Amino acid sequence: MKGQIFLHPIWYTLLTEEHTTMALFAKGITFSKKVTTLTFHRIDTPLPKRVILPLKQYIGEASQPVVTKGDKVTTGQLIAAAPTETSLPLHATIAGTVKDITEQPDYKGTPTLSIIIEGDGTDTWIEAPKEEKEQKEISSLAPSEILKRIHAAGLITTQLVPVPLTTDLVPIDQPKTHLIDGQRITKKIDTLIITALDREPFLGVNRYLAGKDNKELADGIAALKIITGAHSVRFVVDTHYPPATQLQELVAADEEETTTLISLNGRRFPIGLAIPLIKAALGREVPLPYGHPRDVGVALYDMNTAIAVGKAVSTQLPQVDSLITVGGGAMPKQGIVTVRIGTSIGDVIASLGGLSKDPAKIIIGGPMTGMAHYDLTTPITKETDGLFALTHDEIQLSGDYRQCINCGLCVKVCPVNLLPGVLSLYCAKDKFDMAEAEGLFHCIECGCCDYVCPSRRPMVHLFRHAKHQLMEP
Amino acid sequence: METHYIVSMSPHLRGAHSIERMMRTFLIGLIPAAVMALYLFGIRSLIIMVLAMATAVIVETVIEHLTTQPLTYKDCHAILIGFVLALLLPSSVPWWIPVVGAGVAIILGKMVFGGLGNYPFNPPLVAWVVVKLSWPERMSLFFEPHTHSQALTPLMALKEDPSLFYSYEMRDLFLGNTPGPLGTVCALAVLIGALFILYRGVIRWHIPLAFCGGVALFAAILHGINPDIYPSVIFHLLSGGLLLGAFFLAPEPVTSPVTPTGMLLFGFLAGILTMIIRMWGAYPDGTLYAILIMNAATPLFNYLKPKEYGRVKRA
Repeated sequence: MKGQIFLHPIWYTLLTEEHTTMALFAKGITFSKKVTTLTFHRIDTPLPKRVILPLKQYIGEASQPVVTKGDKVTTGQLIAAAPTETSLPLHATIAGTVKDITEQPDYKGTPTLSIIIEGDGTDTWIEAPKEEKEQKEISSLAPSEILKRIHAAGLITTQLVPVPLTTDLVPIDQPKTHLIDGQRITKKIDTLIITALDREPFLGVNRYLAGKDNKELADGIAALKIITGAHSVRFVVDTHYPPATQLQELVAADEEETTTLISLNGRRFPIGLAIPLIKAALGREVPLPYGHPRDVGVALYDMNTAIAVGKAVSTQLPQVDSLITVGGGAMPKQGIVTVRIGTSIGDVIASLGGLSKDPAKIIIGGPMTGMAHYDLTTPITKETDGLFALTHDEIQLSGDYRQCINCGLCVKVCPVNLLPGVLSLYCAKDKFDMAEAEGLFHCIECGCCDYVCPSRRPMVHLFRHAKHQLMEP
Repeated sequence: METHYIVSMSPHLRGAHSIERMMRTFLIGLIPAAVMALYLFGIRSLIIMVLAMATAVIVETVIEHLTTQPLTYKDCHAILIGFVLALLLPSSVPWWIPVVGAGVAIILGKMVFGGLGNYPFNPPLVAWVVVKLSWPERMSLFFEPHTHSQALTPLMALKEDPSLFYSYEMRDLFLGNTPGPLGTVCALAVLIGALFILYRGVIRWHIPLAFCGGVALFAAILHGINPDIYPSVIFHLLSGGLLLGAFFLAPEPVTSPVTPTGMLLFGFLAGILTMIIRMWGAYPDGTLYAILIMNAATPLFNYLKPKEYGRVKRA
């Protein structure tokens, strides 16, 4: 089949697709079919009555509110401007009245200045920008114009950390610096990876989008190619979920074979995280710590971002809703949910029918890397990709964890080749400098070591504690 | 009533692994060898096993009670120590040897170092060495299976006269029809248990494979030099405590290395050492001594770790 994974021909004949993945990336955990089978029911939720929009939903600078208490706003209206490059404009996601501008705990629990909008029940949109009428071809747009439109739509990327998409993208006409051999040098981006794998096997937004035809996808990919200057595009899809005909057509339509389709086993974790994904798909190692995909000449974005870019560039309308995966034993429905940004997680759960069983944990993000919450008024932000309600049967707490028994299961699964057991001993005994020398900052906090540990040691907790101590002198 | 939610660090899911499951798997893996011991050596073997296991659990519980530590008998580790020790003893031992041995294993082997996870040497092996050095003649008295007639184990016979080993049928060694310690005589039973623990993933293939590989390589070279005085590879692999050592004692989690390279080298060197002791040492079977010596070197093998992902070479 054209556009399959490119390797030495001998691998091709000896190994199946699954094995090729294994050969390139043999670490991590494979979850069973039973727990990772995704349901792709698209569930639409009613408009929320009230949204909470934090002024900072990414790593960077907060934006400045341009509305005051009592102002009437319509959907998509600019309510906070971005004075600097590292901030993003914020738009109203429902029509109504600005009720308050006050400090609210964001998804990390940090008090952040947020704009609270009380909805009037309608969904009146702003006027579409005038330029939209004389629609231009994407390929004729200048990179700076595309970047301006992406910035104006307020898009973020969450591949490594949540940052504004414009700070993650480096335009083709600007000098790029890359970390190679310990020093920053210039390296050209040659490959654009569009991944349909989600960060965890339990999340399904990108896999859902890969199975659907989207008219914006081709626009988004064209725009990203123009900005990054990448000449080849690789789609990474899940072996277990066939990609849409549109993707196959995109691959087949490419005469020069610069567009290829790579199938990886999506039940493996943490293959969906950026750093292992680049290793599994291209065999390149992102330098760690503090490395970035562009250091190895790769621009990595997911399906969701590519489609959002396509929408932003062609329609010039801001992003007001996001797709999230809902799941877990206590969640009344499983599937993909469209929600307005700023809806509180309590409202999302209520609109799905309320928690069914006795819930133990509410998690924003996936069950392996997500964050547990106790406050149901926490808003869904731009980076939210999942909402899980787990029952007491599904979770197991560390509780009184035991001594490390040196069994080596964590060494077997660690995707960055650390010795997590040894590291956890150093971290637990406050020997942070020794942990750093053992490669603590290479840890990508995937949680595989926690998952397999027979002594139930809270590894990720210890590592995060140590990193925090080392970074704050 | 307001619902309270649990907040903790990710990951929120955990696998099925636990210390209890691991130790139970080891215990189940040893059952075929124990059943064969019962069949070959009669009710004496059952008494030895029960005494050793009961003593181990009681001694551990008493120590933990006296030192106000949480009681850990539920994790089956004490039972496992007693069980392994019993399988290393001859069927002729008096009742107090398993009792003393299990006590030594728990006190000197495990608890003085701080319990599970901290001891540097495999506790049953520590106990085995103590009783072997304290009562050498009682520990070298082996019975022919199904009888009470005294006999030499194949490796002891080899030490006496190298030509004697030709009198042993490989089939007898494989099925366990030779004198020897309780759990080590039947290679087939040990292998069945070993397959089970490998399948359950509590040990990994590296150490057993490298161990047997080291022994086989060394034996093949010697056998190639002079087949009259050096027995064949199969004889070496099937005799003595080799298979039990390679599958149940050397890969014991606490006292074995964790990195793939470390495990391979650990097993290989233990195999070589076994053969050196067997051929030129004072004791007939070197397996257990070799494992003990390699246990001391385990921290060194952990330095043989793979390169961290993304480590950048400094100019």
